[in-house]
Amino acid sequence: MNGCRILVVAALLMLLFPVTAAAYSINATIEVNAYIVLNNDIHIKVLDVGTDMGSYAKVQFYSYRDSVYTETTLYGENIPTDYTSGTGMTIGVTLDSVFSNAAFIVIESTKELKITERHDAGVETESVTVPKLTITRTIDPNKAEIGQTVKVTLTIKNTGNGTATDIMLDEGTIAKTYKDGCPSTIDDIAAGATERIEYDLKIGEDAQSGTREMPASVLNYKGESGDSYSTQSQSSVLEIIAETVLAPELTISIDPIDYVVTCGDDVPMVVTITNVGNATSEKVYVKGDLPRGVRLVKGDELEPVYESIKPDKSEEYEVTLVASEEGKHVVEMKVMWADEEATAVFEFRAEKSGLEKYYIYLIAAIPILLILLWVIKRRREYSY
Amino acid sequence: MLNILVLGLGQCGNRILDAMNREAFGRGGAFAKYYTRQKFPASVKTIAINTAINDLKGLVDTRAKDRLHVPHLHGVGANRTLGKQVFGENKEIIMSEIDKRGTFDLIFIITSAAGGSGSSFTPLLVRELKETYNNAPIICIAVLPFREEGSIFLQNAAFCLKDLVEEKPAGVLLVDNQYLKKYSGDIKSAYDKINTTTARRLLFLIEALNSEMLMVTDLGDLKTVMNGGIGIGTMGFYEASKDSTIKSAILGSFKPSGLLFPTNVYKEGARAMLIIKGDKKYLDLDLITKTIEELSSEVGQVFKGVLIQRGRPRVLSLFTLNSVPELENLYAIAADAIRFEREQQDKSKSQLDSAFSQIEDLDPIY
Repeated sequence: MNGCRILVVAALLMLLFPVTAAAYSINATIEVNAYIVLNNDIHIKVLDVGTDMGSYAKVQFYSYRDSVYTETTLYGENIPTDYTSGTGMTIGVTLDSVFSNAAFIVIESTKELKITERHDAGVETESVTVPKLTITRTIDPNKAEIGQTVKVTLTIKNTGNGTATDIMLDEGTIAKTYKDGCPSTIDDIAAGATERIEYDLKIGEDAQSGTREMPASVLNYKGESGDSYSTQSQSSVLEIIAETVLAPELTISIDPIDYVVTCGDDVPMVVTITNVGNATSEKVYVKGDLPRGVRLVKGDELEPVYESIKPDKSEEYEVTLVASEEGKHVVEMKVMWADEEATAVFEFRAEKSGLEKYYIYLIAAIPILLILLWVIKRRREYSY
Repeated sequence: MLNILVLGLGQCGNRILDAMNREAFGRGGAFAKYYTRQKFPASVKTIAINTAINDLKGLVDTRAKDRLHVPHLHGVGANRTLGKQVFGENKEIIMSEIDKRGTFDLIFIITSAAGGSGSSFTPLLVRELKETYNNAPIICIAVLPFREEGSIFLQNAAFCLKDLVEEKPAGVLLVDNQYLKKYSGDIKSAYDKINTTTARRLLFLIEALNSEMLMVTDLGDLKTVMNGGIGIGTMGFYEASKDSTIKSAILGSFKPSGLLFPTNVYKEGARAMLIIKGDKKYLDLDLITKTIEELSSEVGQVFKGVLIQRGRPRVLSLFTLNSVPELENLYAIAADAIRFEREQQDKSKSQLDSAFSQIEDLDPIY
C-alpha cells in the first residue's frame, strides 16, 4: 500500500516537475540507533520508529560543518523533509515505511548521492578515505620585462579525508619562458595538509612581449584505495614587457585653424615638436614644403634647427603664411632626428575675397555705370 | 572758323533749329545724342527762344541751356502786339543770353512769319542785334503759313514781313509751307520734312562758308548776294543722279521743285550763289564755269563755290529776287482776310450794340 503511494507520488512529482525534480535518489533502511553517512558529509541517524496514529520515524541529521544536530520526525505522508547541511548540500527525506526497529526512507538530492558510511546500531563501520586536492597558482610579479625572472608559487591543499599519493604535476608553460626548480612529482599529501611549491620562471630574451596566458597546473594523484583523481588550477596571466630602450622619439603637430581662409589674409601656423621618447634628441631639423601659391610672410624661419630636445619637452614656433592662389593648400612639415622623421600636414582652403570674386563683374559694371551716368547726363542736358 | 549764331524763334523757329541740331549729330538717329556730340561745320551757337514753354519742352536735340523761355503764360496767342510788348519787357534777358555766346560773324534768325512769338520778336530782335553786333550780317529765314491756316496767321505774316524788311536785315530767305506741303500728304509729315529740308540747306550753306574750297565763295559773297534785289530770296537744292552731269545738277537747283519758295529764278532772280559739293571726278570746273556764265546772263551776278566732298554732286542755290509775285498774292489774300475780318467784327459789333440798345433805358427789377 505504502509502496503504491510512493509510486503515485513519484509519478505526480514527475508530471509536475519534469525538469526540476531531484536528479538523484537513494533508498536506505536504517535501524534504530544506526546511521548512514551520505557523501562523507551528512549523517542520518534513526532515533525511533512507531506506528501510533500513523507511521513515523524520528531522525537526526548532522554534518561535520554543523554546530548542532538537527532532529525531526518523518511521517508516512510522502512529503519530503528537507535538510541542508553546513556544507550547503540539501537533501529531501521521505519516510516510506517503518518496521519494528527500522525505517525505510527515500533520500533525494540534486547531487549524486552515495552512502559513504553505514553504522549499524552498536556496530562501528570502517570509513572510506578519499583525498581531494585543490591547487592554486600565483606569479609574482605578474608583470615583468623580458629577461627578468618571476617566482611561481603553487599551493596544493588536500581537503579530502584520505592521503593523496603518486602526485604528478603537469605545469603549464608560456613559450620562451624557462622553469627553474619546478618539480614534476610531489610527495604524498595527507588529508588536511597543504603543500607549497615555489619555482623560478625566467622570461627568455626572445619571448614575445604582451599579456600572455599561462595554462593551468594539472595534478594527477591517487587515493589510498588506488583510485585516480585529477584537479587543476586556474590559468594565470603574465604580462611580459619589452625591454626598455632609451631612444628619442619626436612628434610634430600643427595647431588647427579654420579650414577656409581668404586669399591674402594671414594664416598663422603654430608648429610644435615634442620629444615623447625617453632620451634626449640631438640635432633636430624641421623641414617645410610650402605649396605653390603660399608664401611665408612673418616668422623668423620655417625650418628651424634645434640643438637638442629633452624627453617630454617641446619646442614651438609660429610663422605666418599667406595664400595668393585659391584652392586647397597642403603644407607638409617634417621633423628629422637621427635617421628618423615624423610628418605633420597643415591643410587649409583659400578662397578669393568677395572683391576678388566679383571684380570682373565690377570692372564690367564700371563702364556700364559710366555709360549710364553719361546717358543720364546727356538726358538731363537735353531735357527742359 | 566762322562764329555763327542761329536763333530759332517761336514754335516753327524752334523746330527748325532742333532739326539743325539733330542733323549736326550725323546719322546716329534718335540715340546719337547719348554717345556723340554735335559736329557743326563751323562754330555754331544755337538758342531756341519762345514764350510757350511747352514748345521748348517738345524739342529733342537742343540742349536745355540753349532753350530760352521768355515768360508770358504759355505763349502770346498769335498776338503780335502782345508779342512785341513781351519782347520789350524781356529783351535784356534775351540779349544777355545771346551775349553769353560771344561774338558772331553771321547770325541766322529762323522764325515763322505767321505765329505769335516768332513773328513779333524777330523784327525787334533784328533791330537789337544790329545795334549790338553791327558787323554780323543777319539773315532771317521766314516761314510763310498755309494759306488756309486762318486770317490771323495771314495778317501776322503780312505785317511781320513788312516789319522785318523795314528793319533791314542782311537778307530774308523765304520758306513757304503752302508751297512745300507737296512733300507729304499729312500735315505733320510735311512739317517735319520742311523743317529737316530747311535745316539741311542752312547747314550746307554754313559748311560751305566755313570750308576751304576749290572755287571760293565766302561770307562777303553771301552779303553781296543778299544785298541784291529787294533783299528777299530763297534757296534751291539739287542732288545729281547717277547719270546726270554737273551742268544738269546746277540747273536742277534752279528748278521750282528744289526751291523753298515758289519763284521763277530766271525771271525774278537778282543775284545768286551756287555752292557745289561732290567727288572731284564729277566736278568739271570748266563746265561749271561755263554753266554759271550762262546763268549770269539770265539771273544776274552768280557767285560760286566748289567743295570737294565724297559723293555725287549736290548743289545749293541761294537767290535774292527783284520781285516776288507770290508775296503779292499772299498780301492780297491777307488784305482780303483782314478786311473780311474787320467787316465781320463791325457787323458783330453793330448786332451787339443793337441788342444792348433794347435795354438801354431799362433797369433790372428784382
